[in-house]
Parts: sequence; structure tokens; C-alpha cells
Amino acid sequence: MKDFFRNNGLLILTAAVLLALVTAVCSILFGGFADPLSNLAGILATPVRNGISAFANWTGERYSDAFEREQLKTENEELKQRIAQLEETARQADAALQENERLRNHLDLRPSKREFEEESAMVTARSHSNWESAFTISKGSSSGVEPGDCVVDEYWHMVGIVTQVGENWSTVSTLIDSNTELGGQLTRTGEAAILEGDFTLMGQGRLKLSYLPENSELIAGDLVSTSGRGGIYPPGLVVGHVEDVHTEASGVTRYAVVQPETDLESLKQVFVIKSFEIVE
Amino acid sequence: MTRSDFMIKWGVYALAALPVWLLELYVLNRFPVLGVSPMLMPLAAVAVAVLEGATAGGGFGLFTGILCDAAYHDTDGGMTLGLCLIGVCAGALSRYALRQNLAGCLLCSLGALTAIDAVRILVRLLQRAAPLEALLAVALPEIAWSMVFVLPVYGLFYWVFQRVPKKTVL
Repeated sequence: MKDFFRNNGLLILTAAVLLALVTAVCSILFGGFADPLSNLAGILATPVRNGISAFANWTGERYSDAFEREQLKTENEELKQRIAQLEETARQADAALQENERLRNHLDLRPSKREFEEESAMVTARSHSNWESAFTISKGSSSGVEPGDCVVDEYWHMVGIVTQVGENWSTVSTLIDSNTELGGQLTRTGEAAILEGDFTLMGQGRLKLSYLPENSELIAGDLVSTSGRGGIYPPGLVVGHVEDVHTEASGVTRYAVVQPETDLESLKQVFVIKSFEIVE
Repeated sequence: MTRSDFMIKWGVYALAALPVWLLELYVLNRFPVLGVSPMLMPLAAVAVAVLEGATAGGGFGLFTGILCDAAYHDTDGGMTLGLCLIGVCAGALSRYALRQNLAGCLLCSLGALTAIDAVRILVRLLQRAAPLEALLAVALPEIAWSMVFVLPVYGLFYWVFQRVPKKTVL
């Protein structure tokens, strides 16, 4: 080891310690915004990231064309039937909406509205680590994306939350990431609970619905959406459905395993909700 | 070795590390095996350390660590320090205890990957983020799948090693 110390080894180790400290401090100071080095790396890697993403998507589409034609035909038929059912439901809902508007006018209530300012973005890279669930999107601070913004798919199913923002890229931590935590609500009963990622469930593509009310009666298939309590995330975004109900290791409280409604593995395009205004 | 030789040598090593970095970041994570994708950058740091020794290994580990911290999410400088230490240890081990060849690289890579995942497990255990079984269920396949790439990564850097000036004066 004499050679090591003679050949500036100590200098290299000192540089590593200092750089690690600077990176850690920058990470704390910049909050959800990327530090200059990460930002630069993200910008420089953009062409490669976009190129690989475009090639992977093109290959996936060619594969679907070649080998999944029959499956797509069957799916198309099923979807046509489903559309017919939904059109009937929508006709009934129209009547209910008109009645609701008349009643709101009658009671002098503010008209309800849900307005969102969203930004479309492409998913350009998958999670770099097996210890988290995240992906990179093609929009960043130059498009007004900020840390903490909600991300949904084209069906308005909740996908995740923006956790790091660069100039023209952002990292989105998905719903199942073990650091994710947000207010959830059971659509059927209106009961509130906490949706949180769990490391054990992350590998199975699931998350937890914890702190369930004592007497809540959950049924497998119950829809879970965001509660919007606290005003950080919009309410009513569909998260997933209840798969199972378990008792915590303590034996006192229960939690539900929730399967996300969105398909996190095949996301190509997402929408970042930059701001929202909701009047119930 | 002249300053110019020195710059060219480490420039070539850095260029060789770039495709490995891009492969890990943007390609292999699209095709997980056993539910995991491999870690390649620690293998690159170890391969160069085994071939060039502790000081050069530390320097190259520092470079690969900076690349990892720049691209990975939530590492907060840990990879810069971690890969530099791994480079130093792998270089010293392969020179004084093992051999500066593929077998030495395999053993050092196994040690490096185990050390990285041991730190990750320890942090999560201290945070009470998950039980040990769940953490091992990620770490073990990750190490196993990463070890498959030791040969190609070592091969790439050995190819570079044969073509650059041998004596490094830092």
C-alpha cells in the first residue's frame, strides 16, 4: 500500500469524500430540483435516452403487429361491447347531471368544476435501480413541471409523483415506490386511509392502503382513489382496486393490498398535473 | 509516460465506460431477469482497478461514481465515495492477495456487489423500511445477474488495457 499513498491515493480518497459531501449537500439544498451535475448529465443523455426509448417503442409496436393481431381483434370486440354499456350509463348520467345542476341552482351553490392544467410527456427511461420504482419523463422545469406534481396516464389513473426535476427531464416515483405516501379514499364507502408504497409489495407491483378505519368493510375489487385531503394532490384520481385485506404484524390494525389501475410496465405517455382547481 | 499519453490513456478508459453506463441506464433495465436489472458500473470500476492497481482504481472508481450519482436517483453522493473505495480495495486486493486476472476480477466484483447491497440493506433495516427477507429477495438475484456481466465488462477493459501505455504515473 506504500505505492498507493506515494501515488496520490490519499488525494483521490479526499476528493471522493469532498465530492460526496458536496453532492449530498446540493441534494438537500436543491430539494426536488436536480443539482447542476445531475441536470447536466440528464440533458447530455437526452438524445440517447430518447433514441433508445423511440427504438424500444417502435420494436414493441412491430411485435404487437406481428404476433398479437388475433388478441387485439378479440380485445377490440370486447371493448365495443363495453363502449355500448358505457354509452347507456353516460345517457343516464346526463340526466342525473342536469338534475344535479337544477338542484345546485335551487340551493344557490357554486357550480362544481374540475379544472386541470396538465403537460403531456413521454416516458423515456425506466427505473435505474432495483431498489426503487421510478421512471424518467421528457419534460422538466422548462415546461413548468415542479417536484410534487401528480402524474396520471391517458385514462386519468394515478401513476406517481414527480420527485426530481431537471431542465428537460424529470424523475417520477411511481405509486408503488416505497417512499410514496398520499391520502386515499374508498370510492364505495367514502372512508379515508393512507396509500403508501411498501418495499415487499413493490416487487409484486402493488401498494398498501393503511390506517383503515376500525369498522370499515372492504370488498375485493373496491375502487381506491386519491382523497385530496391537504390540497396537495387532486381528489378523485383513480389509484387502483383492493385485492386483499391483511392484518398488520402487530395484530391490531388492518391494511389492504391495492393493485394499481395503471399498467406501470407499459407506460409510454403520461400527463403531469401542474395545477388544479376543484369545486365540489 | 508523458502528460499527453496519460490523458489519452484515461480518456480511452472513460470512453470505454460510457457504453457500459448507457447500457446499464437505458437498455438492460428494460429487460429485467428474475425481476432485476444488473449493476454494471461497479464492475467497470473493479475491472480497471484489477488491471491498473489501487491508485488508478480509486481514480477510475471516483469517475464512475460521479457518473452514477449524476444519473441515479436518490444516491446523494454515496456512489462517488463507494465506488472510489471499491476501486482502491479491489486494486489492493488483486495485487497483494489475489491475482490481476479474470479470477481476481470475479472475486473482487462479487465482493464489491455484496458490499454495495449490504449497505443498501443496512440502511433500509435501520429505517425499518422492509424485512430482511424482502431485501435479500432483491439483493441476491441482483448480485447473481450482475455477475454474469463480469466477463464482458472485464473483456472490454482488458482490451483497452492492452492498447494503452502500461506505466501510470499519477
